[in-house]
Amino acid sequence: MDDKDIDKLERRCPRLGSKISFRYCLISGEDDNPCWKIFDCWWEYFDVASYLKSHLPAEVFEQLAKKAAAQPKDKLSSIVEIAEQAKKNKE
Amino acid sequence: MELRKYILREDEIPRQWYNILADVNLNPTLGPDGHPVSPDQLAPVFPMNLIEQEASTERWIDIPDDVLSVLNIWRPAPLVRAIALEKALDTPARIYYKNESVSPPGSHKPNTAVAQAYYNKAFGIKRITTETGAGQWGSALSFACAQYGVECKVYMVRVSFDQKPYRKFMMSTWGGNCIPSPSNETKAGRAALEKDPDTPGSLGMAISEAIEEAVADETGSTRYSLGSVLNHVLLHQTIIGLEAKKQMALAGDYPDIIIGCAGGGSNFAGLAFPFVQDKIHGKQIEIYPVEPAGCPTLTKAPFVYDHGDTARYTPLLPMHSLGHAFVPPAFHSGGLRYHGMAPLVSQLVDEGLLEPKAVKQNQVFKAGVLLAQTEGIIPAPETNHALATVIDEALKAKEEGKEKVILFNWSGHGLLDLTAYDSYLTGQIKDIVLSMEEVAECEKVYADFPKPQHLKHK
Repeated sequence: MDDKDIDKLERRCPRLGSKISFRYCLISGEDDNPCWKIFDCWWEYFDVASYLKSHLPAEVFEQLAKKAAAQPKDKLSSIVEIAEQAKKNKE
Repeated sequence: MELRKYILREDEIPRQWYNILADVNLNPTLGPDGHPVSPDQLAPVFPMNLIEQEASTERWIDIPDDVLSVLNIWRPAPLVRAIALEKALDTPARIYYKNESVSPPGSHKPNTAVAQAYYNKAFGIKRITTETGAGQWGSALSFACAQYGVECKVYMVRVSFDQKPYRKFMMSTWGGNCIPSPSNETKAGRAALEKDPDTPGSLGMAISEAIEEAVADETGSTRYSLGSVLNHVLLHQTIIGLEAKKQMALAGDYPDIIIGCAGGGSNFAGLAFPFVQDKIHGKQIEIYPVEPAGCPTLTKAPFVYDHGDTARYTPLLPMHSLGHAFVPPAFHSGGLRYHGMAPLVSQLVDEGLLEPKAVKQNQVFKAGVLLAQTEGIIPAPETNHALATVIDEALKAKEEGKEKVILFNWSGHGLLDLTAYDSYLTGQIKDIVLSMEEVAECEKVYADFPKPQHLKHK
């Protein structure tokens, strides 16, 4: 599958519950990096790992791979963490 | 004529929620320091009455009259005998479902949204914030807040906000203030917009904005609300199973098998927990949470303490997990992964009180289409996981010639999620199943982690 075809890919996002393009997944993670679920969601469609490896800077790819391999944060603990961060920002 | 619906009168609605924490032992949520998370850490985010419910071990918790009076808008929800499905399958099984699609927003979610809006109001909270993806939870909370005169602010991920205007219209009609995230209303949002004014947003950003707004309100009159996973959310949902028990008695039946889809756990728990109580006290009943075969959390993964992130910063939660260092088979050969099951559901699986099942995607939508064509309601895609297992069990009963009684939760309708059906009907959905060998590889990462106790119910 070439880059042109990849640009046209769409699927239902399991987090949002609506249809999104592969392009969205490339920028919807932290700091406009790819979403951490990008490997999970797109492996069925094409070789997403090779695609990302060849299109992302090496360190960004490595960070993404680490994040993808990690378990997403538990919701309650994420909330505590975000709240603490927000309080710090306020101070 | 066979009876199709079993209806309770409004004054027959259950007056108490069932708290399963009275009957099971749950490993505590651990903080980064290894100690349980304290109420103080949660106080800026949730009202104290809900934090108390989160930790309560009282078996029965009264449902306030002011909550019942709102639930009565659509509750008691009907128990329906799926006669047309039984005929289509030619099964001797008697199949019943709780129809949670009849709520104003179209799912089980307002069962907890209403309770949460009430408790926030009772605690003196004037505004509730939340995030929403496609808008289902935002709709439920907007509806609930309208009933109590509480302001509702919903941060909806911009890409969905632009794509799904009908959910925003629903929220606005109920008085909810639904704005696209990122917004100019929080520090986090402004920083994102400054970087890229055309950003489509993300769920992480929307959560950050909703929590920031609650925490940053110096008057203390704003809190945040969550619609899944937490103990108090599951508690509020038990009204589903408590009603079902009364209605099954009206039908003169008792279920041999209970089935529900298990995403964050709340709709499954809502139906199943009151029957788990019976099982603990000796009833012969099989209870199946159902999940996708491609992203198994309950069916194949071990029960361990697992970190929330690679930095090991977040608390340790006892839950079924594929591991914080699970590498999706995509890296080897492809695969899916999903975490985030309610700890209470994980605990009951560990005790053997629940027997999780996994179903493939095509099987899931095939079931949804059959139910739409027989029972008439187009199911929510999540509901379809339960339906696929219902059909499996009904066909098994046929093979065995047994008159099994099956009860499942029809958690919502899919009228605002039709693109998922379009994907199935146009052949775009593929099946994935992790092998036991792939899961065994993932389990190696647990070697150094503390193991939770395998607790038994009280």
